[in-house]
Amino acid sequence: MSVTRTRRRAAFSRFRREYRRQRAGLYGAAILVAAVVLALLTPLITDPAGMDVTKATGAKMSPPSLDFPMGTDESGRSVLLMVLWGSRVSLLIGFMSALLSMTIGTVMGIAAGHFRGWASAVLMRITDWFLVLPSLVLALVLAAILGGGTSTIILAIGVTSWASTARLIRAQTLSVEARPYIERSRALGAGHWHIMTRHVLPNVAPLVLANTTLQVASAIVAESTLAFLGADSGSVSWGGMLRGSYDWGAATSGAWWYVLAPGLCIVAVVMAFTLCGRALEAVLNPRLRGASR
Amino acid sequence: MTRMGARLAALGLTLLLAILPATQALAGKAPEPGTQALARQAPEPGKKTVRLGVTQAVDSMNPFLAVRIISSSIHRWMYGFLTVPDPKTLQPSPDLAESWETSDDKLTWTFKIRANAKWSDGKPVTAQDAAWTFNTVMTVDAAKQANGPAVENFESVTATDDRTLVIKTRKPQASMLENPIPIVPKHVWEAVGDIGKFENDTSPAVGAGPFIVAEYKKDTYVKLKANPGYWRGAPKIDELHVLFYENPEAANAGLKKGEIDLIGRLAAPQFEALAGDPNIVQWNTQGRRAVYLQLNHGAQTIDNKPVGDGHPALKDPKVRQAIHYAIDKKALADQVQSGLAVPADGSIVPPMYQEFFWKAEGDDLVTHDIAKANEILDEAGYKKGADGVRTTPDGKRKLEMRFSIHTDTPVEDKIAQFLTGWFKEIGIPLSTRKLDANKFTEETGFTGLFDIAISGWSVNPDPEEVLATHLCSRRPTASGEGGGTESFYCDPEYEKLYQEQLSELDRPKRAEIIKLMQKRLYTDAPVIAVYYPNNLEGYRKDRITSITPIPEDKGILYGGSGYWPFYSLDAVAAPAGSTGGGSGTGLAVGVAVAVVLVGAGGFLLVRRRRSVADERE
Amino acid sequence: MTVPPDTLLDPGPAADPAAGPGKGRGARRPVLRYALAKIGGAALSIGMVIVATFFLFRLIPGDPAIAYTRDVPLSPEQLDLLRRQMGLDKPLTQQFLDFVTRTLRLDLGTSYEYKRPVTELIADRVGPTLVLVGTGLVIAVSLGLWQGTRAAWNHGSRFDRFSTGLSLVLWSVPTFWLGLLLLMVFAAGVGPIPGIFPTRGMEDVDAPGGPMYLLHVAHHLVLPCLTLVAVVYAQYLLVMRSSLLDEIGQDYVTTARAKGLRDDEVRRRHAVPNALLPTVTLVFIHIGFVVGGAVSVETVYSWPGLGLLFYEAIKGPDFAVMQGTFMVVCTAVIVMNTLADVAYHVLDPRVRSA
Repeated sequence: MSVTRTRRRAAFSRFRREYRRQRAGLYGAAILVAAVVLALLTPLITDPAGMDVTKATGAKMSPPSLDFPMGTDESGRSVLLMVLWGSRVSLLIGFMSALLSMTIGTVMGIAAGHFRGWASAVLMRITDWFLVLPSLVLALVLAAILGGGTSTIILAIGVTSWASTARLIRAQTLSVEARPYIERSRALGAGHWHIMTRHVLPNVAPLVLANTTLQVASAIVAESTLAFLGADSGSVSWGGMLRGSYDWGAATSGAWWYVLAPGLCIVAVVMAFTLCGRALEAVLNPRLRGASR
Repeated sequence: MTRMGARLAALGLTLLLAILPATQALAGKAPEPGTQALARQAPEPGKKTVRLGVTQAVDSMNPFLAVRIISSSIHRWMYGFLTVPDPKTLQPSPDLAESWETSDDKLTWTFKIRANAKWSDGKPVTAQDAAWTFNTVMTVDAAKQANGPAVENFESVTATDDRTLVIKTRKPQASMLENPIPIVPKHVWEAVGDIGKFENDTSPAVGAGPFIVAEYKKDTYVKLKANPGYWRGAPKIDELHVLFYENPEAANAGLKKGEIDLIGRLAAPQFEALAGDPNIVQWNTQGRRAVYLQLNHGAQTIDNKPVGDGHPALKDPKVRQAIHYAIDKKALADQVQSGLAVPADGSIVPPMYQEFFWKAEGDDLVTHDIAKANEILDEAGYKKGADGVRTTPDGKRKLEMRFSIHTDTPVEDKIAQFLTGWFKEIGIPLSTRKLDANKFTEETGFTGLFDIAISGWSVNPDPEEVLATHLCSRRPTASGEGGGTESFYCDPEYEKLYQEQLSELDRPKRAEIIKLMQKRLYTDAPVIAVYYPNNLEGYRKDRITSITPIPEDKGILYGGSGYWPFYSLDAVAAPAGSTGGGSGTGLAVGVAVAVVLVGAGGFLLVRRRRSVADERE
Repeated sequence: MTVPPDTLLDPGPAADPAAGPGKGRGARRPVLRYALAKIGGAALSIGMVIVATFFLFRLIPGDPAIAYTRDVPLSPEQLDLLRRQMGLDKPLTQQFLDFVTRTLRLDLGTSYEYKRPVTELIADRVGPTLVLVGTGLVIAVSLGLWQGTRAAWNHGSRFDRFSTGLSLVLWSVPTFWLGLLLLMVFAAGVGPIPGIFPTRGMEDVDAPGGPMYLLHVAHHLVLPCLTLVAVVYAQYLLVMRSSLLDEIGQDYVTTARAKGLRDDEVRRRHAVPNALLPTVTLVFIHIGFVVGGAVSVETVYSWPGLGLLFYEAIKGPDFAVMQGTFMVVCTAVIVMNTLADVAYHVLDPRVRSA
């Protein structure tokens, strides 16, 4: 066991070394850590009472000032405060739907890669189907049918975005299973479950990690798009804030802070996830290591 | 650029150039003969055009099917009616019917159709046209879609000669002179076949109103031309364009920029954003709408069986009263409507209708008073627990309630946020449920699956319909059908007053009864009116020189009853040489864009040859 | 708009050895057989769309008959009649078979809002969407592939860093937000910037006829198209860039260079054609995402297309229109995808003979 641990530790420190060489990835990671820490600290450093419209202290849509560094919204609430609380919902939806999508994608991918014959064909047909369908349209239909709410949005995004992951994981599974030691293990009588969980899963895990990071990014964008098109989570999120700024005419009345603050937050965090994902990919995927430094 | 890349770029450009002509075919625009095309580009100087921006697409051009405000407005401009509200008093005045009389039993109405009205194809308007229209609504199910309830009480409609129309009703009907059905030409519509499938979108459609529809492009625009043969005389403007916007922010920008001349039914934020523009008139008037809360005070079906899952505490008038005290109507009007609404110290009839409006005074008046609300609940035995949540006197159920609103309605969402804040202070936690329009109607009007729900009603000059929505008979059947109740209300006193006003043909006396009915609703609180939103509109005064609202004294421009505002419109004439709507510069830009696109393609191709030299590593 | 993350990840053919005609793999099959297999697969996919639609839209709580009549009060008898007309009294299997036959006959039901056949509503709106998505796709692909090629060939250069950075930013921007910003700046006008583009729709009343009509539409098309292109072209650029980088790392490129072939020649003859294959495959697979983006764009710019119809149906909600638009859009995407796949297979001799 200690051998494995040493090997893992060595692998991890190699990973750290490699990742440090990815400059963009480091910036991304820094922004991410900052965003997550702020989101976690928000309940400790701010008073949620400021989110209650009946207790709002500011004037309606007032420009940034010392009291309200990002200005106020249509009810006189601090946009900064809303951005902080909104980050919790946006990140939650991002992480949860990415998790859901990754789970479905990994299970489908490994199964499609491991099994042969019609089982694999059926799984791939389903995957291809989800891959080709316009996922936003499908997510909107799902949200419309299931009604609003955070869990619905997570479900709608998760269920419609796993196909590309499944394809990727399947390919990786195929190449892992082609390795001789799997053959050996199979000859020794290892069952499907053993091979899939003990051999394939650990080997595809790095890829899953990189892909999850990117998936969170696209889920945050998807959340905002769904919110704009009317399927919102019911709590203040960045997408919901953008929708609010649109509904309350922030753009035509010149309240640029209300339009830009949540939008730029989305762009920054989504970029950060993307940079991290790309860096992880470059580090973990040996094929790319040579090419795209 | 590589050969493959260049091939792709060239293919792209070819496709692009192929797609654009396809636009023309796909958009259904047949290429026109040269002369006509040229004539269309340059409108004759002196032509007066007004462009109206709307944020609602036309649902149908068929007046028997259309229910949206935009469509019924267009039908008001296209067709004539029996009567039309007087622009000053809003009381019925002659339109296609020049006079009328009722029999002594108030069941037979005889209308004289005017002789000087003509259809736009030159044929005279006769009583047969009107009779055919009403009979169609009465007998053809598909035709009931738009205005079915308006003929519910009709026994028969006959034309005894070309000028005389006789309508027999089952019961006396005070609202007979506000009939909303546009009269269509029998000679055209007889040949239609299935009314439910007829689109009525071929232009020009035959009508007898001030305007004729000249062109209709779905989800895009409706072009109307003045009807030169209109019996009152042609409108002052030559053309009225109705332009559709999905995005209200874009519509506002369009008005500021001058792409449109008038927008009606603005939301408060958009209205406020128009402030400070010297060329724009912000038209802010009292509205015809009342926004209120519907409280589930024990919903029952028409045979008095309980239905739904309303919170039992709401059956207690004390709780409803406490809730009433917790609502700060002024804050809602200020915050949700930017102060562009009248806080409701009354009930379901807005103050715009002075004749029928009832205002709470003295002891009746409920003001925002959290302490008083808490006091009422304490006295009635609803104890606050350690968590600040009240329970019913028997201690069995917490006063946790749901507030049902529609999805995608920012105003209702904001109201919910305020109510949640206030109700928390009186120990009633409120959770918001957003429902789509279908489900909302079902749960708040049929199945009673709600505690408190948002609601609203646009009241006609005659308030009969809104009063009727609180009658016992409007409650649904046990199987969830029929109905149309706005409150599941069933109160003997209210019923009695309703019957009285129905047959009271003396207007002031009837108004007094209607006020008593509103007082009953206010004090018993099955519904709590919140505010009456103002009607917010904007128009460009550098384009529109005069417009008469309805009613003339501070009334509505778009979406009101009657065609007066648009009939009376006058505008600045197009100067000679202008192509109207800045499409001259538009075309210039279009040309520029095309040049840029072609240029980019060319650049890519040239690039390919040059790249040999400057990209070698 | 949901962009699939895999476009930012490894797009190379090696990622999926079984994904269609990869470089030299399984590409010897005759064209006809290949096409037939693809078409069969597409038919199956379309069948799955129909089945999924039926069950998805049966999940909606509430009585479809009441939803259809909206606020018009009907007697119980009338409602029963309506239910029978809508086939709601039949067993589920019968309802399903009816649904399939109707759908195959292109009868997609009647809109609650418009009281018109959904097929007609859709037919009216296909044109504008084709114009928007078609133009956007052509520009995005041309621009993305060109810029991606240049960026990869000079990787590490200022152009490369700028292109990659810009596309990562654009990739992170919500489509509707970008659309609103562009609308506010270039259609409404901000400060010294004049609003030179129209604020709505595809055409104005009294649009000129003849060739000038094209320019009129082009003028209206600029902003919506720009928005769509900005968001989708980023993925094409990134995919093209990384596929080409893959190729550059291959031995044959080194060999070709060593043979003394001109750099440009190497790129044009060898690297780019090989890199194009995975890229173009991905472009086809992701047509659905462009269509998804069109929903936001059409809503922001009041563009009278399918996306707007779909958005209005969701707002209604008008389930018949939602269901019809959903099926048509999915089918269109599947068909386009298959056609493009087969066409590419036929056109690119390398795929066949490698």
